Amino acid sequence: MSITQILFWVLTAMAIGSSLMMITRKNPVYSVLWLIMTFFAISGHYLLMNAQFLFIVNLIVYTGAIMVLFLYVLMLIDLRHDTEPRKNKWLKFAGAVAGGCLLLVIVAALKDSDIKSNVVQTGEGDIGLIANLGKALFNEYVVPFEISSILFLSAMVGAVVIGKKE
Amino acid sequence: MPSLEHIANLVHDWLNAQFSPGLALFFEFFIIGVLIIGLFSILGLVLIMMERKVSAWMQLRLGPNRVGPKGMFQTVADTVKLIVKEGMTPDGVDKLLFNLAPFIVMIVAMVIMAPLMFAKNFQIWDINIGVFFITAISSLSVIGILMAGWASNNKYSLLGAMRSGAQIVSYELSAGFALLTIVILTGDLKISAIVNAQSDGWWIFKGHLPVWIAFVIFMIAVTAETNRAPFDMAEAESELTAGFHTEYSGMKFALFFLAEYVNIFVVCALGATLFLGGWQPLHFGTGTGFNRVMDYIPSSIWFAGKTFFLIFVIMWFRWTFPRLRIDQLLNLEWKYLLPISMFNLLLATLITIMGWHF
Amino acid sequence: MNALLISAVMGVLMMFSSFMLKSKSAVRNVALAGMFLILVANILDTYGWHLFNIPTEGMMHFDRFSLFFNSIAFACTFIFFLLSARDMEKVGINYAEYFSLIFFILCGIVLVASFQSLLILFLGIEIISIPLYILTGSDKRNLKSNEASLKYFLLGSFSTGIMLMGITLLYGHAGSFDITVLIKAGEKPSSLAIAGLLMLLFAMAFKVSAAPFHFWTPDVYDGAPTVFTSFMATIVKAAAFIGFMRLFSTAFYSLHDQWQMVIAIITALTLLIGNITAVFQQSIKRMLAYSSISQAGFMMLALFALNGTATEGLFLYVAAYSLATIGVFAVLIKMKDYTFEGFNGFARHHPFLAAVNTVFLLSLAGIPLTAGFLAKFYMLKAAVEAGGFLWLVIFAVLMAAVSVYYYFRVIQAMYFKEGDAPVSMEVSRPFQWVLGVLAFLIILLGVFPNALLYWFYF
Repeated sequence: MSITQILFWVLTAMAIGSSLMMITRKNPVYSVLWLIMTFFAISGHYLLMNAQFLFIVNLIVYTGAIMVLFLYVLMLIDLRHDTEPRKNKWLKFAGAVAGGCLLLVIVAALKDSDIKSNVVQTGEGDIGLIANLGKALFNEYVVPFEISSILFLSAMVGAVVIGKKE
Repeated sequence: MPSLEHIANLVHDWLNAQFSPGLALFFEFFIIGVLIIGLFSILGLVLIMMERKVSAWMQLRLGPNRVGPKGMFQTVADTVKLIVKEGMTPDGVDKLLFNLAPFIVMIVAMVIMAPLMFAKNFQIWDINIGVFFITAISSLSVIGILMAGWASNNKYSLLGAMRSGAQIVSYELSAGFALLTIVILTGDLKISAIVNAQSDGWWIFKGHLPVWIAFVIFMIAVTAETNRAPFDMAEAESELTAGFHTEYSGMKFALFFLAEYVNIFVVCALGATLFLGGWQPLHFGTGTGFNRVMDYIPSSIWFAGKTFFLIFVIMWFRWTFPRLRIDQLLNLEWKYLLPISMFNLLLATLITIMGWHF
Repeated sequence: MNALLISAVMGVLMMFSSFMLKSKSAVRNVALAGMFLILVANILDTYGWHLFNIPTEGMMHFDRFSLFFNSIAFACTFIFFLLSARDMEKVGINYAEYFSLIFFILCGIVLVASFQSLLILFLGIEIISIPLYILTGSDKRNLKSNEASLKYFLLGSFSTGIMLMGITLLYGHAGSFDITVLIKAGEKPSSLAIAGLLMLLFAMAFKVSAAPFHFWTPDVYDGAPTVFTSFMATIVKAAAFIGFMRLFSTAFYSLHDQWQMVIAIITALTLLIGNITAVFQQSIKRMLAYSSISQAGFMMLALFALNGTATEGLFLYVAAYSLATIGVFAVLIKMKDYTFEGFNGFARHHPFLAAVNTVFLLSLAGIPLTAGFLAKFYMLKAAVEAGGFLWLVIFAVLMAAVSVYYYFRVIQAMYFKEGDAPVSMEVSRPFQWVLGVLAFLIILLGVFPNALLYWFYF
């Protein structure tokens, strides 16, 4: 195994492990911290694929901004004590069955697909570099790129509507 | 003349001659780690000493003058004190997060060092998104601060952490826009490319108006981002005892303290790289005798000189401005700095497209 | 493209008008003028007058299908503005911003109606959803509105997540976002594509509130300020259906046999749950929410059949349903009491309003001579033509009969019960005029459906 492969498996184990930890923690602050770990692992995968720009965007957007705001809110409302309401046993059971079905479908879908041979493209390919991404964004995908500004604008107007004092 | 580049190449060649490439790489990682930690301790000692001397000078007093010649070993004595002090973990804190937080802040400060160019061709990792890397990673330090504040289970700590979070998240924007101005002018995010673009003049001279505005905004924003006075809302002593590190003592407190100073160094080094030409010497015109003299000064000295000049400016801020209130602080960012930096970005784009810079 | 750009600009313009214009009527007039402009621009676009020429790299395709639907949606929005714009003032202080958000939603509607790339579909759905979350929670002092907004937001984001996962799997299958090349005809699709298809199906079923993904609908429609319920139950839902139809008739047409059964089950469930639950409601607003679920069941029949009649019928259904529901809500907003008892004796005090309201309700129930009847007829005809699933058609007819019960309860309360039917607001003369025109339109479409469908072809 080359170093890249070892890193790949370590990052994968880290991503899966920390996302499992994230959903099993009772304390939401811990959950958020584990989620941050997950994002780090996924960002590491980007780095392995030589997509340095995506790596750093993933970090700055999810870890640096969104998760910080999550932490911010969770820490302000004190959830230290076990305030989570008990859920119906049958509801839990139904949830487990539904989630298991979804897992089955996805595993079956991925198993049959023809991507088995080349699991991950590591260390090669330069589509993730900023120059190539910029060219793709401003040539081929310029219409969706510009349209997404409407999305952000509407979210901003919404934030003002919700946040303004009446 | 032995430059840092020269030494680094010598070490690299020697290691590769002695060991297999993989092992050599490993040893290089190890050496870099040791060097970074060494740099940290030196920076801590020097910067704290510098701060005390500068503040004393600003306030017309002597400052530390007992330990060593002119009190130069005062910080060493302080460090020894902090190391031997008991590292308390109060009851009722969240033990794991409480102990983890200072290390996270520290690690973040270390990682930011990676793309910095300390001298000519002397750099750890010339990542092709260098500037963006620094902004992104430095935004992670807020996680450590929030963790520290929340885990302390103390309302002063929590308030301090919240304030610092709001502050860092807000001021990141203007700092980012200020950096983008230079990125637009250079056309590259790579630190080495940005420095090379300034070989015929630093951006602060070449880029005139937009760069001046960006430089001022950058200095204000990084002062806020490093939680320094006049923006030290996170630890406003008169309101919050010591902010998010109220409950910390001993070495863990020292780590926070150290991280603050290292962060100052990093942002000033970044400012020096982007606006003041990094290791590029000061030149006027082409081929004059003055330029030749300037070239004789080693690049590392140029870089350190510029960085320490900016650090001095930031210390100057601290001892001459009164502290802002939290709402004033956020107003300053969202209502003044952010719009100005957005328009400045447009201006910079216009100037770049029209080729109006020198 | 005309309508997309103008409505985006109008959204920005409304943001500015919130502090540039002092009086609310000025804001309203700007919005009305802008809406009219968008409608005209879209009609110009339909007949080859492109004001903007932007290469979309095959990501959007402005064909007759999308432009025709856009015209219907814009016309309905225009009528909605005429009827209810004044009532938006009562929701909160951000009057101009509400218009701004609605214009942004219209951008999303254009995208959803004319996408040819899954990327644009996703953007369109998001641009529709995010302003809606805000509009749902815009009555900030009302706890029910806040709850509805949060519920809608959480469930909506979840369904968007499923949709994204589906898009990812489809991209993994085809290596492209283009819906015309997603599934090659005659080729056995990989299970990756099937899983993606199912996820897109579920996510879109959520957006059109088809059972069993309808649970958010009653609470959200009930909790939202009534003016905005009127908008999102009609135009937005119709747009989601058009997107659904466009996606499945273009991308997955070759797999029609495989997902037809799933759609049939969803349709039957939607009809059952929508109609049966609507019978037991006490509040008319909530009843209308369930009625919108049951109407969605009928519109699902178009997806089930996926033939020429279904396309025509969907347009007619969308128009009939939107016009009638906007009318019913416009009357409902004026009432003080939203329960059935609140309408007691309404006919004696406001004979004209009661008469037009009856027309709207009859159309919703699908009584002949109204647009609703022909719309339902087209749907059933399409389903019969598709063949094979006769039980579904019979079931749909049965459920239409059930729906008559709860629509007639309102009519009964208006005409045959004693009471004073408290009205909370002034009913102005122009308002009554517009309602009259609306009722006339519904009857016109019920007699001459080609008055609308003609424009689809010419």
